[in-house]
Amino acid sequence: MLKNAFLMLLSLAIAIGGGGASVWYALKIQDGVGAIRIGQWTAFPDIGTPAADPYSKARVAREGVLALGRAEGLSFVAENDAAGDQLKRECSYRIEGGFPTARFWTLYAADQSLGVVETGKPRLAALQSYEVLRQADNSVTISVGHHPMPGNWLLTNGSGRMYFVLTFYDTPIASSTGLSDVSLPRIVKAGCDA
Amino acid sequence: MRNVLAALRRLFHAVLLGLVGAGIVHIVVLLLVPEFSERDAWSRLSMASDLYRMNRLDAEAGGAPVVKSVDPLFYAAACRFDLEEGMVRIKAPGNVPFWSVSVYDRNGHNIYSFNDHTASDGKLDAVVLTPAQMIDVRKDLPEDLQGAIFVEAPIDEGIFVIRSFVPDDSWKPIVSRFLDQSSCELQDF
Repeated sequence: MLKNAFLMLLSLAIAIGGGGASVWYALKIQDGVGAIRIGQWTAFPDIGTPAADPYSKARVAREGVLALGRAEGLSFVAENDAAGDQLKRECSYRIEGGFPTARFWTLYAADQSLGVVETGKPRLAALQSYEVLRQADNSVTISVGHHPMPGNWLLTNGSGRMYFVLTFYDTPIASSTGLSDVSLPRIVKAGCDA
Repeated sequence: MRNVLAALRRLFHAVLLGLVGAGIVHIVVLLLVPEFSERDAWSRLSMASDLYRMNRLDAEAGGAPVVKSVDPLFYAAACRFDLEEGMVRIKAPGNVPFWSVSVYDRNGHNIYSFNDHTASDGKLDAVVLTPAQMIDVRKDLPEDLQGAIFVEAPIDEGIFVIRSFVPDDSWKPIVSRFLDQSSCELQDF
């Protein structure tokens, strides 16, 4: 009798504990269902729409996100560089290449919660397409790091993990049909502060 | 020996049952999170302000941002509305480099969005209403609603968000004023 009760308790504990923990874990990881990957960049075109999968819906509800609409724009997040290493705030990077068609785009360095990195200076850790210098072939090269650099410079600060968030506003790629043949800039590590 | 084997078998059964149960609990919890979340955008906004009140979402207005993850080069404002009380009209005066608007339902799902290229002469003047209210309005369109953008949304409670681009520091006061002067009102009809 006592053994039966123990086994029942064990089943219940596994069911409730395992079920709850697996949901918590699934909502915590950055990756997930419904992601579209282009190079190192990941986007969730369906997030925040009624067509989203249950995991995205739960994440929206839990984090209080108000996702960009299709007519507004589309956000891409990068957490690795081209070599597959995690992005670090103490390293410097080069983001280079062409950008897809959009009215304008913004790029910022973000921390774990995708808020902008605090630089401790008046300069934001953000750039936008109206202020960047372009190459003759319309591509853009952006240097990311602590120290001022010629050309386009995205200031970062501190140490730890970093993410890049690249958002295109008023863009045809947000209406998912165009997403397949979009190419996004590469993220190349240029060096690290010891 | 036989007793030990039987006990192991029952233990194995119990664990298996637990795992199947975990799968069921996983699905149930996942589907219930949106219903019971107290951290969703609607709940956060309702702690910050009343219905039909424009509320800044960026940190510029002081204090921590109410709803997170707006682009640092953007300012944003939101108001909550309830279409059961009537249709709601949102207006914002002035010219800014870019604005975009989204209508969300109670759960924070994006129902409709548009940007300044959609509006006539770039002025933000929109009315959110249910399909039933739309039929009433169509019968006799009031003079001052002629230029407005009508957003038909099959919802009752919802959130209206205006986002506006701040290209550089010199635009900050202009974009701030654009959002602070925006209004979100219950429209009599």
